[in-house]
This record gives sequence, structure tokens and C-alpha cells, in this order.
Amino acid sequence: MRTRLTEFIDQLRAAGVRASVAESLDAMAAASAVPTERDHLRAALAATLVKDAADRPAFDALFDRFFAAPGQVRGKGEQPQPIGEGIGRGPGQASASDRQSEERQPSKSAARDTAEREREKRQREQAAAAHLARRREVLVTAFESMESRLVEEAAMLVEELSRRLHAHLSRRLARAHRGRLNFRRTIRASLGTGGVPIDPIFRQRRPGKIDLVALCDLSHSTATAADFCLALLAPTSHFFRRVQLFGYVDRLVEISFERGHVIPHQPLDLAARSDFGNVLRQLWEQCEAAFTRNTVVLILGDARNNRRPPRADVLARLHARVRRVIWLNPETRRRWNTGDSVLASYTRHCDAVLAATNLRELTAAMKSALL
Amino acid sequence: MQITPELIQDGLRRACYLTIPAVETTLYLSLVLEKPLLIEGPAGAGKTEIGKVLAEILHTDLIRLQCYEGLDEAKALYEWNYQKQLLRIQADREQDRSWEDVTSHIFSHDYLLERPLLRAIAAPRKVVLLIDEIDKADEEFEAFLLEVLSDFQVSIPELGTITAQNRPAVVLTSNRARELSEALKRRCLYLYLDFPGVEVEREIIRLKVPELDSKLREQVARFVNNLRKLDLRKAPSIAETLDWARALRALGIRELDTAGVRQTLNLILKHEEDLRKVENKTGALLKSPSRID
Repeated sequence: MRTRLTEFIDQLRAAGVRASVAESLDAMAAASAVPTERDHLRAALAATLVKDAADRPAFDALFDRFFAAPGQVRGKGEQPQPIGEGIGRGPGQASASDRQSEERQPSKSAARDTAEREREKRQREQAAAAHLARRREVLVTAFESMESRLVEEAAMLVEELSRRLHAHLSRRLARAHRGRLNFRRTIRASLGTGGVPIDPIFRQRRPGKIDLVALCDLSHSTATAADFCLALLAPTSHFFRRVQLFGYVDRLVEISFERGHVIPHQPLDLAARSDFGNVLRQLWEQCEAAFTRNTVVLILGDARNNRRPPRADVLARLHARVRRVIWLNPETRRRWNTGDSVLASYTRHCDAVLAATNLRELTAAMKSALL
Repeated sequence: MQITPELIQDGLRRACYLTIPAVETTLYLSLVLEKPLLIEGPAGAGKTEIGKVLAEILHTDLIRLQCYEGLDEAKALYEWNYQKQLLRIQADREQDRSWEDVTSHIFSHDYLLERPLLRAIAAPRKVVLLIDEIDKADEEFEAFLLEVLSDFQVSIPELGTITAQNRPAVVLTSNRARELSEALKRRCLYLYLDFPGVEVEREIIRLKVPELDSKLREQVARFVNNLRKLDLRKAPSIAETLDWARALRALGIRELDTAGVRQTLNLILKHEEDLRKVENKTGALLKSPSRID
């Protein structure tokens, strides 16, 4: 039995189900703990080896081939069929479910019902698995190659991600002020309890200390990333004293983000050619006075400057003035600093340059950038 | 207590929890192998109930940890009862006590707020620990949970290490709001718990709403099962089916017809869109045993 199981697990792995060594040992232990009936064995192996409902059809197909039902002897050397096609019910499955239903109602329609139910159950499992797989796909698809339908799906996901980002930030803040006692207020509160400080009052960290200035490249190549970046930022605004949002292509305009839409306050030519040098200069001219040690500057862009002067000196001046400058690049790392990209000249004046090619990276980058 | 498959079977029956044999086997295995059991599946299929039933079968306590975003160790494991410690110090002020005396006193068990995880580990006998909706907790918490689940011991700097005398039976449930880490899955047995299907659900209704007559029971089970095949925002749960059955009984409805369904549909469908989608299909849903669209 042991070798038979090892063989089974090997084939299961070949079919794309990830089963670790620890799990194989569990499977062995489980198989010897249950009664020797086929259904029990199936349940035992499934519980120990299949940790994702998506892998269940592959497992069932293999199990039916491997451990044939009584009276259904099959050659061991039989070629396994490719799993992709073999999702249909194996012969063993049918007899197992027949047996199950016979106990309750020996009619044929009941058997059909069971069969039907089995099939639906599988369909539902597959649908659930497909949903998760889809989610994973949306998370890791590069912004550049997203089609419009996928963008819509991603927009729904962003809602959830931004909620998580919000929870993450508020937790960080909560953790930061735990343990720092506000002595004066604790003593005052203790007067009510005869000088016993029953309710300690902790220092609140003022989240409003930081001014956030976010610049998003709205040109076509990075528009999707910019949208998502703004959507992620939107619900976190109360963590900052002030949030200033700018959009740019060849020049800088103030924007706001309302109900999932970017609204520029002045007209902006989205088809223009990006000019980071000009944008930085404008930013400096408009906000020089506002840049302090409490300012965090977040720039989202691909730094493709169309061979115009990059004006890295402006960024250097800015960097010297503010707390942090973080650059998010929606381009794949491989293409950084190729062609007309002037990222290298900016990198020196940034505290961090982070890749944000897909939703997963973008969320992670925002998490590390904002706190 | 010797754990046998029969014990589980009988226990489930006594707790009025009807299910398929595969679930029984998996439950049995998780107890015998002393492995945590991870249950996934649609909302309302009876995942949480399994934890409760398991406690009933083992004649022990159920300790429940409800997960949510931002759940941390202080809420899941332990916290020092600061207020009580302070009161103690205040009360002790007059007596001249040495520093060691005081510290050893206020950092003792009496001043510890045990949260579910510690309670399960420190319990004098085997308990059932139900970690509900683990998918709602953050990844960091999941990693922390892994540590606890692998050794069943907790270190408290002031008290030392507490190791479980009897490993608790652990049940984790997830609605798949996000994907759980591979490491967690590897440590657990896995069970996908789906809706039970017409026959089992009919039996559940028979057990829980015995007053309902058999014809209506059949109709209700069938209708709800057909409903779950539609693409709804929220498929009706088993509890909702039972509520519905009770409502039908209270309204004195003898047979399910279009009018009766429309009147009571809001008991099983809680979304406006779902209601609108189903309303004009009720006739078809009542009639056909399997195919609708």
C-alpha cells in the first residue's frame, strides 16, 4: 500500500497538484487511520493532499484511475489521460455515488439526482477556484497589458485593496502610539478615581503631521496605473495633514479624485508628449513654500522624457527640502533606463524607486512608501 | 475517550448535523492525526457549525476566535490586565513589600487576560478551538498563527512557556475572501464544504422543522437548490432555508406556489438585485427539478 501511495502522490504532483513531503507523510498516516473502504480512502487522501478546491477535479480523476472500484480492475500500466480532458466522471465515481443513493431511495431518478448534484458541485467548485485564479491574474497582470474588461475587474478589487491599505496604515499608527503615556492627562483622569490612574491615556500620534504631494503621470502609457494609485490613496487622506494631488503629462495641473474618476482642475492635453523637466520646474515654482521636512512626495511615472532636459537639479533641490521622495515606476524593471528613460538621473535624488507594474506591486509599494 | 469513526457518526447524528460520509471521515482524521482542519466553502454551508458540533461530540468546551482585519496578538493571545495590576499596587502601598515580591505578584496568572488562543492552550483538558473566518485576518496574523499551531506553546516573558497539556482540536474556517498562505494550508487538513444537495437538505429540514409536511419539505429543498444554481450575489444559506420553512409553516402555506414564494422570497434572498432576478423565474424554479436556464 505504501509504495502504491507514493506512486499516487508522484502522479498527483505530475498532474500539477503541489503536495509537500510533510503532506505525503500525513497522507500515509491518514490512509492507515481510516477503514479500508474506497470512499474513506478518497476522503483521507483528499483532506491531506488537496489544499485547493481547484485541484479537486484533477485529484478525483487520478484517484478513479488509480484505485479502481471493486469489480473494475484496471491495469496499473495504463496510460493516464491528460488531466485537462479527464475532468469527466470516472467509472468508480459513478458506482460510489450509486451506492450512496441506494441506501436512501432505490429508484433510478435518485441516482440521476446524485449524479447531477455531483456534477453541479464540481462546477461550483471550479467556479470558485476560477474566481480565485482570476483574482490572482488581475493582481499580477501588468498595467500595460490590461484590457478594458480586466481594468473593470481590477477597479472592483482596488476597493478591497484600499480598505486593506487603510487598515494597515491605521494599525501602524495604533502600534506607534501604544506605550507612550500622556502623563499629564493620565494624572488628571486619575483624580476621579482617588489618584489611582485606572485609565491610562496614551499619546496620540498626530497623523496630520505629514503633507502628501502626489504626482501622477496621466499620459496614456501609465494612465491605468495612475488611476489605481489615486484610488488606493483616496480613502487614506485623513492620515495626512494635507494631500495635494497633481496630474501631469507635459505640464502640471491640480487634480482631484472623486468617485473613481480623475478630475483635472485645468485643461490638460493627454496626448502631449511627457516632459518631466518642465513638470518638476512647475512643481517647484508652485509649491516651493509648501515643501517642508514634513512633506512626502510621491511620483508615479515612467520617466520617459522624450529626450527633453530632465532637470534632475530641480528634484535634487526638492529632495533636500522634503522628508522623502518616492518614485513609483509602472514600467517593468527590465526597461528602466532604456531608450528615452531618464530614471537614472532621478534615482539619485529619490529615497526609494519602487516598481509598480501590477496591482500587487503597487499596493506593496504604497504600503512601504506611506509609512 | 477513544475516537472511532462510529463515535463521530453518532455524535454528528445526535447533534442533528447531517452531512456526507466524506466529511465524517475528514473530521475523524483531524481528531486522530491531531491536525488542524481548514474548512472552506460558500457562506452558510455550515462551516462554523462543524466546530460547535465537534465540541459537542467530544463533550468539551468550544473556544472561538473570530478573525477580523487588524486582529493582533493582544486580542488573540494575551494581555496584562493593567488596571488590576495598578489597583494591586495601590492596595499594597501601606504594607512594606519588597520589589521582587510586588513584581512576582502582579505578573502572575491572576493579572493575565487570557485571549482565545492562550485559553485553548492552557485549558486543563482537550478543547475545540474554532478560528472563524481566518481569511479576514491579515497575513501577519496568519504567520503568527502558524507558530502557535505548530507547537501549541506560548512564551510569556514574565511567566515562562506554557505548553498545551492536551492539544486542542483546531478548526479553521475561510470564505476565500483571499488566498491563504501555502504554509498554513500545508499544516492543515483541508475540507471543502459545499451546500448539501436536495436529499440531505430535505433531511435537515425534517430534523429541524419537524412540523412541516413532507410535500412542502420536498418543494422547499428543491426550490432552494435550484436557486443556488442561479448566479446570485448571495446564495441562500441553510439557516435561511430553515427560517423560510418555519415562516411557511407559520403562515399556514400548504403548498408552494408562485404567489406564496413571492410573498416570502425576502426571507431567503437579501439583495434587491437577486430578488428582482428571481421574481419572474419563480414559476420555472418551482417546476423543473434540475434545469432552469
